[in-house]
Amino acid sequence: MKIDFTRRSFLGTSMLAAGTVAMPGILRAQEGPIKLGTLTPLTGSGGAYGPVMAETVKKAAAEINKAGGVLGRELVIISEDDQTNPEAGLRAARKLIDVDKVSAIMGTWASSVTTAVAPVCWQSGVFLTTASGADSITKLPHQGFIIRTQPNTTLQGRKFGEFALELGAKNVAFVSPQTPFTDSQYAELKRAVEAAGGKTSILIYDDKKTTLRTEVDQALRGKPDAIVMGGYTTDTAVLVRDLYRANYKGKLLGFGYAVNKQLVDALPPDVSEGIVTLSPSAAEGTNGYKHVVKLLGIDSPDTYSCQIYDHVNLVSLAMAAGKGTTGAVIKDNVRKIAQGGGEKVDNAVDGLKLVAAGTKIDYDGASGPCDFTDIGDIQDAQFRYEQIKGGKIVLLKIA
Amino acid sequence: MDAVLQALINGIISGTLLAVPALGFSAIFAVLRFPNFAIGALATAGAYCAWVVNVSLGLPIPVAIFAAFVGAGLAGALLEYGALERLGRGGALMKAIGSLAMGMVIENIVRFIFGNDLQAFDLPLARDIVFGPIRVGPQQLNNLVLALVIMAAVWAFLSLTSLGRSMRAVADNPDLARLKGVNPRFIALVTVAIGSGLCGIGGTLIGLDTAIDPLVGGRVLLSVFAAAVLGGLGSIPGAVAGAFLIGIVEEFTVLALSPAYRLAVGFIVILVVLTVRPSGLLGSKAN
Repeated sequence: MKIDFTRRSFLGTSMLAAGTVAMPGILRAQEGPIKLGTLTPLTGSGGAYGPVMAETVKKAAAEINKAGGVLGRELVIISEDDQTNPEAGLRAARKLIDVDKVSAIMGTWASSVTTAVAPVCWQSGVFLTTASGADSITKLPHQGFIIRTQPNTTLQGRKFGEFALELGAKNVAFVSPQTPFTDSQYAELKRAVEAAGGKTSILIYDDKKTTLRTEVDQALRGKPDAIVMGGYTTDTAVLVRDLYRANYKGKLLGFGYAVNKQLVDALPPDVSEGIVTLSPSAAEGTNGYKHVVKLLGIDSPDTYSCQIYDHVNLVSLAMAAGKGTTGAVIKDNVRKIAQGGGEKVDNAVDGLKLVAAGTKIDYDGASGPCDFTDIGDIQDAQFRYEQIKGGKIVLLKIA
Repeated sequence: MDAVLQALINGIISGTLLAVPALGFSAIFAVLRFPNFAIGALATAGAYCAWVVNVSLGLPIPVAIFAAFVGAGLAGALLEYGALERLGRGGALMKAIGSLAMGMVIENIVRFIFGNDLQAFDLPLARDIVFGPIRVGPQQLNNLVLALVIMAAVWAFLSLTSLGRSMRAVADNPDLARLKGVNPRFIALVTVAIGSGLCGIGGTLIGLDTAIDPLVGGRVLLSVFAAAVLGGLGSIPGAVAGAFLIGIVEEFTVLALSPAYRLAVGFIVILVVLTVRPSGLLGSKAN
């Protein structure tokens, strides 16, 4: 076969090739959809929260896509399960980064998972938004690639101490498995209780035990009038049962993520009666919160669903504001759309229109104002105080 | 002193909970000569069978325990017949790894059907009975009695029935047993079914004492394995003795060290015992 290769055709082809190479990167990249990952606990201790979180992001992204996407491109959400386990979480994060090439990973829940996943993210230039509370997370050298919507555990520990005092406790025992936030939480709890003249003790247990009788005996030896339970739902259920059997009559306080409907269902009503919980509160009553209620079709979405709803909105708006889709663009622009004044918005669809029109915006979401410190902590958060009464979780106050 | 006595009682009770699955694990090892790591998941499967019978069908606890035995036994036999037997040519290690993988499959099937939520049996939770400075839970006493009855039944089955004697014969010397007209393959399947059934009962007893979730069996797998190794792999009385020792040592640990180290202390005990006595507490000499 003979190929005609004239000087004219050579010049034409060369110019076309040179033109393609010279085309701005952004235009070439516009060919495909924008890939974002969710890494939530679909199984394991956080299994009660992860599936709804992943669902929330898919529904929020569908809304954004229906309104024209981000920078005219469709959002594609890839959901992975971290199994509430750091090793599994790391494997899933690598898959999202190396295979799927996502720009951001959203919704890591357990602090141990976030701690394992974070270095892979910042080293790969992938933005990480998380609902984990351990103080150590935002102290990592993440170069701005992490923000979290969950208040840190220093704040949570202090609130626990103050709440125990408010309930009349003078001798508070902290009984917890070893987690990345156990120490910081206990230190703040101790500080708050001792400042008011009370005393504290700590007992760390193995959360894989099926019975904690001897641990309970040890904890009760100091005669605490309040016990703060630092575990997850499964081990907290074992602990509460053994405290009941031991005829403990003092106050029991737990985290909202452990003392939840799942725990109430797993215990007879008289055993769980009176346990008080506190947890970061979603911004109930705001339009952002109402939007999540509508989006999910449930009456009171948990704080994590509200937080991850804010994650996908913040990521989308930051990409639009920075006119790019990389993790670095999100990092550089997320605070520009989240804080510092501008027109208030509570959802990405409205926000994207304003950003496209060149208007400065200030995103306040379903989980709260979404204003971040330099290291990525949330600046302000309200807490939700609840109590189990008659087999139901009843709201005491939001403060 | 009171604390030591209380820890001893707690240890005996938690040892009883470990003893039943450790018996099953040891029986399977005695006949098939490989550690079946699917027992954790089989304990979970048994616990869920019992839960369905008790909560969904509203039947009493003894019926639920029987359902756990049958359900886990069938699952274990099916696993052996359908998958692990075929890996036998690769040796004991291949079967052990295969059992680990199949355990994960069973665990995830349970998760798929029942979800991740904690589930409780339809059983009131009673306060402990107090004897002076010592306290014991009524449910724990029930579990203790149940476990002892089950262990006695296993002993009677192995000693007094022809099927039990055939199982011991295959465990001792499969070739000799074959010459005597015993079908080792059939006996192996029966052993796996009974061993798995015992694990199912073990999972149920733990569930009766606490609650169940898809990881209920997985959480005790290491302690059960430790108990069986300590007692001498394949030795039935050894598994029971090992379970009690692990249970008691783990509870005593809490008095002296942080409870977070209790599992590690269990393994240190294994290391010490096996250094002095390599065949385990009651095991025969390694062949």
